[in-house]
Amino acid sequence: MNEIQQYAYWMALAHLPRWRTEKINRLIVDILQEKKITFAEFFDLDKNDWQNEFDLNQKEVINLDVAKTELPNYSFLVEDLLNQGFELIPFSYNEYSPVLKNNLKLKYSPPLLYVKGNKNLLKEPSIAIVGSRKATDVSLKFTKNVAQNAVKNFEVVVSGFAKGVDRTSLEETLKAHGRSIIVLPQGIMTFASGFKKYYSQIIDGDILVVSTYHPRVPWSVGLAMGRNVYIYGLAEKIFVAESDSKGGTWSGVIDGLKKGREVYVRVADENEDNANNLLIMKGAIPLDNNGKVEHHEELENFEAKVKSILTSPLSAQEIKEKVQIDINTQKLSKILYELSFITTENINGKKIFKLKVSKEAQLSCL
Amino acid sequence: MIMDRTEAEQKLQKIFNIHHFYDDQWKTIVRIMKGERILLIEKTGFGKSLCYQFPATQFKGMTIIFSPLIALMRDQVKYLKSIGIACECINSEQEQEENTKILEKAVNGEIKILYIAPERQENQQWLEAVRKMNLSMVVVDEAHCISVWGHDFRPAFRRIISLVRLLPENFPVLATTATATTKVADDIIKQIGKNVSLIRGNLLRKNFYLSVVKVDDEISKMAWLSQFLQKQEGNGLIYTGTRVNTDLYAAWLQSENVSAANYNAGLDSESRKNIENGLKENRWKCIVSTNALGMGIDKPDIRFIIHTQMPQSPIHYYQEIGRAGRDGLPTNIVLLYNPEDKELPEHFIKNSRPSLKKYEKVIEALKKEPLGEWSLMRRTNLKQTQVRVIRADLIDQGIIREVMYGRDKKYEYQFGASKLNSEKFEKLRDFKMNELSQMVNYCESTECRMDFLCSYLGDDSVKKCDNCNNCLQRSPQYIPNDHWKERIQKFQQNFYPELEVETNSSNIVNGIAASYYGFSNVGTIIHRCKYENGGDFPNHLLVLTLRAFRHKFGDEQFDLVVYVPPTESGDLVKNFAYKIARTLKFPFSNELKKIHQTKPQKIFQNYVLKKDNVKDVFSYEAEIEGKKILLIDDIFDSGATLKEIAKMFTKIGAEKIAPLVIAKTIGGDI
Repeated sequence: MNEIQQYAYWMALAHLPRWRTEKINRLIVDILQEKKITFAEFFDLDKNDWQNEFDLNQKEVINLDVAKTELPNYSFLVEDLLNQGFELIPFSYNEYSPVLKNNLKLKYSPPLLYVKGNKNLLKEPSIAIVGSRKATDVSLKFTKNVAQNAVKNFEVVVSGFAKGVDRTSLEETLKAHGRSIIVLPQGIMTFASGFKKYYSQIIDGDILVVSTYHPRVPWSVGLAMGRNVYIYGLAEKIFVAESDSKGGTWSGVIDGLKKGREVYVRVADENEDNANNLLIMKGAIPLDNNGKVEHHEELENFEAKVKSILTSPLSAQEIKEKVQIDINTQKLSKILYELSFITTENINGKKIFKLKVSKEAQLSCL
Repeated sequence: MIMDRTEAEQKLQKIFNIHHFYDDQWKTIVRIMKGERILLIEKTGFGKSLCYQFPATQFKGMTIIFSPLIALMRDQVKYLKSIGIACECINSEQEQEENTKILEKAVNGEIKILYIAPERQENQQWLEAVRKMNLSMVVVDEAHCISVWGHDFRPAFRRIISLVRLLPENFPVLATTATATTKVADDIIKQIGKNVSLIRGNLLRKNFYLSVVKVDDEISKMAWLSQFLQKQEGNGLIYTGTRVNTDLYAAWLQSENVSAANYNAGLDSESRKNIENGLKENRWKCIVSTNALGMGIDKPDIRFIIHTQMPQSPIHYYQEIGRAGRDGLPTNIVLLYNPEDKELPEHFIKNSRPSLKKYEKVIEALKKEPLGEWSLMRRTNLKQTQVRVIRADLIDQGIIREVMYGRDKKYEYQFGASKLNSEKFEKLRDFKMNELSQMVNYCESTECRMDFLCSYLGDDSVKKCDNCNNCLQRSPQYIPNDHWKERIQKFQQNFYPELEVETNSSNIVNGIAASYYGFSNVGTIIHRCKYENGGDFPNHLLVLTLRAFRHKFGDEQFDLVVYVPPTESGDLVKNFAYKIARTLKFPFSNELKKIHQTKPQKIFQNYVLKKDNVKDVFSYEAEIEGKKILLIDDIFDSGATLKEIAKMFTKIGAEKIAPLVIAKTIGGDI
C-alpha cells in the first residue's frame, strides 16, 4: 500500500463534519482492522453497504458520500502541506505518539496529527506544565524551575502556546536548550509567525509543532479549550503551577487524577487564591516552589483518612476537626460531595456525610 | 462509467463531429473511464487530446489538464469552445482578473475542461480554489517533462508528480507525451505511482525527408541556408544553438531578402505571442529560434525544419522536428553538421550545474533563516539561473522546502535533511554526454535516419524509410564559393548587437554595441587595455563603434556626449568618449559623477546586487533640461548602470538618453 496515497482518505475521515472523535476512530478501526479492507475499497462500497455493514445512520452515510467526492480536493491540500514541509501522522502509524494513544484511547485520540519539526520527540519522555493564562509570579517562577528540571532529565516539555504558564514553560525550556512540543489551538498552516520565530530551534530538532485541527482553520476559543486535552494527552507527567477550582486546567487535572495519572501540584501558601491544595487533597503529589516533592501530611491521603473516620455519619465540621485540615467548611463539603464512596443525608436540616454501602455488603446483610 | 464503442462513437459524432476513434484511442478511453492511470506515448498528430477530451465531456465533474504550453492551451480552448464545450485556460499571460473569474466559474461547476500551466500548482489562489472544485480527472500533458532523463525536464512538474501520487486510487489520471525513450517512460511510471499502464504507438513519420548536410563552418551554413530558402516552398523553422545566433541568422536572412523573424526566451511574452501568431498566418518565410519555440506550435503545414546546430540528443532532435508536417505532406528536415558543433552542447551539459561550493553557500544561508529568491540572491551573490537550479535540486533532495509565509514564498532548510548527494548530478551528466555522442552518431550514420531515431525512442518497427539521404544513397556536403564568402563577410561587418534597455520609467532608448564581447578579438583587446595596462582603446574600436552609431542612429544629432564614470580603469572610457564626441562634433561633458564609491559591477553575479550597487550613486550638476544625450560605456552587461543613470537624467529633465558601447556580453543574468 502506497502510504502517502492514504493521506487524502485520512483527512476526509478525520474532518467528517460534527462526528465525535470516537465515532471516527471506531469507523477507521472497523474498516482497517475488523473488515480488513483498504480505504479505497471502503469508499467504493455502495451506500447500503455503508449503512448495514458499518452500522451508520443515514446522515452519516450522506456525510461520507460528500467526503468521497472531496477526496481529490484533499489530495491537492495534502500536496500543498507536504510541499511546505508539514507531515501527517495518522492514528495507526508507528510515528504516532504512544503516550497520546495510551492516555486518550479511542475515545479522544485525534485520528490525524499534522506536524512540523522533529517528530521523534513524540517518542521521548515528556511532561506538561499547566496553569492559568494570568498566573502569578510565584507560579511562573515554579514553571521555570520545573522546565529546567525537565531539561536536565532529558524530558520534552509539552506546551500549548498560550499566554502565562504555557509560554513561560516553552521559553524557559528553550533557554535551557531543552526540547519542546507545541500543541496548536489552530490549523498548522496558520502558524507562519511561529514558524518564523522558532526557525532555528525547528531546524536543530528541538521543537515539534503539532496540530490536530484542519490545517487551515484559524485560532478560536473553542479550539483552544479542545487543545488542552491533547496537551495532557501528550505528556507522561503533569505539573500544575496554578489552578482554579473550575475551568480548563482544573477539569483536565481532575480527569487525569481519575485515570490514575501522575499529577504534580505546587503547594499554595495560605494567601493564595487558587485550588492547588484541593488538587493535592484529591490525590495529586505536592511540590515546593522549586519543583521538588514536599510532603504535606494534612493534605495528602485525604480520602483514606476520611474513609477511616467515617465509622458513623458526620457533618463537614466534624470531619474537618477529625482529619485536622485547615480549610473552610464549604470548600470541604464540595470535595466530600465528589468522593465516590460517600453519600449524603439531610437530618434536621443538617447535612450529614456517610459511607456508601457497597452492593456486596447489602447482599451479605440479607 | 461503462459505455460500448458504438454508443461512444455516436456521442463522438454528436459532440466532436468525428466518426470513429482509432483503436489506440478507444483502448485508452475505456480504461480512463474505468478510473485507471495511463501513460500514453503517441507521435504528434495521433490525436492524443481526444483521449481526454472525450471522457471529460462524459464525467460528472471537471477535468484539469496540466500543460506547459500556453500557445497550445489557447488553441485547444478556442477549438473546444467553438464546438460548445465549457472550457477555459488559466495562465500567467492573462490578466489576474480574468484568471480569478475563471477560478470562480470552475468552483461553481460551470467548466468541464480546465487547462492550466504546471507552475500554477505553486500558486496559493489556485490551491485555495481547487479545494472547492468538483474534480473528475487529471491529465498531465507533455509528461516527459517529469523526467530528468528526458529532453526537457522542468522542475515545475515536481509538484504535479507529488499531486498525482496523492490522488485517490480510483481517480483517472492520463499522462501523455510524444517523445519518451524506454528509460524516460519507465521513469514516468515509477514517479507517478503504481498501477500505471503504458500504451505506446509507433513513431514513424512517413512524410519526413531527413538529411544531414556536412559543412565546415558558420559561413557555409549561412550560405547554404540562403540558397535553400530561395528554392524551398512553404514556411518553416530554423533552429540555432544560442540566442545570439537567432539574432545573427535572422539578420542575415533579412539582408538576403528572406522574410525571417527571430524568437528566443529573452523576448517578452507579447513579442513571443506575436511571432507565434505570425507563424500560423505565414507572415514570415521562416522563424529563426532557439529551442524555446517548438512544443507549443499548433500548425499543420510546417514544411521544413533546419538545424544550424545539433541538439543535445536524438530525443531532443526528434522532439524539435516533431511539429513539422502534421498534414502528412512531404517535409524537409535538415541538420547542418560541422563536427565541431558538438562543443556547444558539451559546454551546456558540463556547465548545467553550478559548483558544489555554490550549493553549500545556499544551504548555509538557509540554515540561518528562511529566504525568498531575491534575498537568497543578495545573500549568496549567485546568478538567478544558478539559484534556481540549486533550489530545484535541493528541493528534489528534500534538503530545503518551499514554504508560504503569508503571501511570500520562502525557502526553508529542513530538520534532519540528508547531505547533498552530488553523485546524482554526475550520473546525469555522464548520461547526457552519452546521449550527445549518440547525436553525433546520428550525424555520422550511413543507415536509415528514421530507423535511427525511432529505435532510439524505443520503437523498433521501422526498418527503412526510403526518404532520408542515406536510404536515397546521397551524402550531401556543402562548401561555399568566394562570392558567398565575400557577401557574408560584408554582412558581418554591418551587424551590430542591439542594447534592449527601453523602459517606461525613464527616457532611455535602445542603444547599440559595436560588437559582441566574445566575437572576433574585441573582448581580448578591451581586456588588455583595461587590466593589463594596454593603453587607450585602439583606433579601430573607435571606427567600429562610430559605424555602429551610424547604423543605429544615422544622422541624428545629440546635444551632449557623457560617459559612465569608471570604478577602476582610469580614463579609458573618458578618452574614448571624448574622441567620439570630437568626431561626431557633439558637445562633450565631464559632469556625470559618482556621489560615493561603488564596487566593480563584474563582482556581482546577479541583477539584484548590480542594481543595489549603483542605486542612487550618480549625479549631474550642469544644465540638462530638454537635452538629447549620447551615453558612452565600454562594456554592456546587465544594463543596470545605464538604466540607473538614465533614471537620474530623466528626473532632472533630459529628453532622450541613447547608450552606445563597444561590446555587449553574451548571457548576462536576467
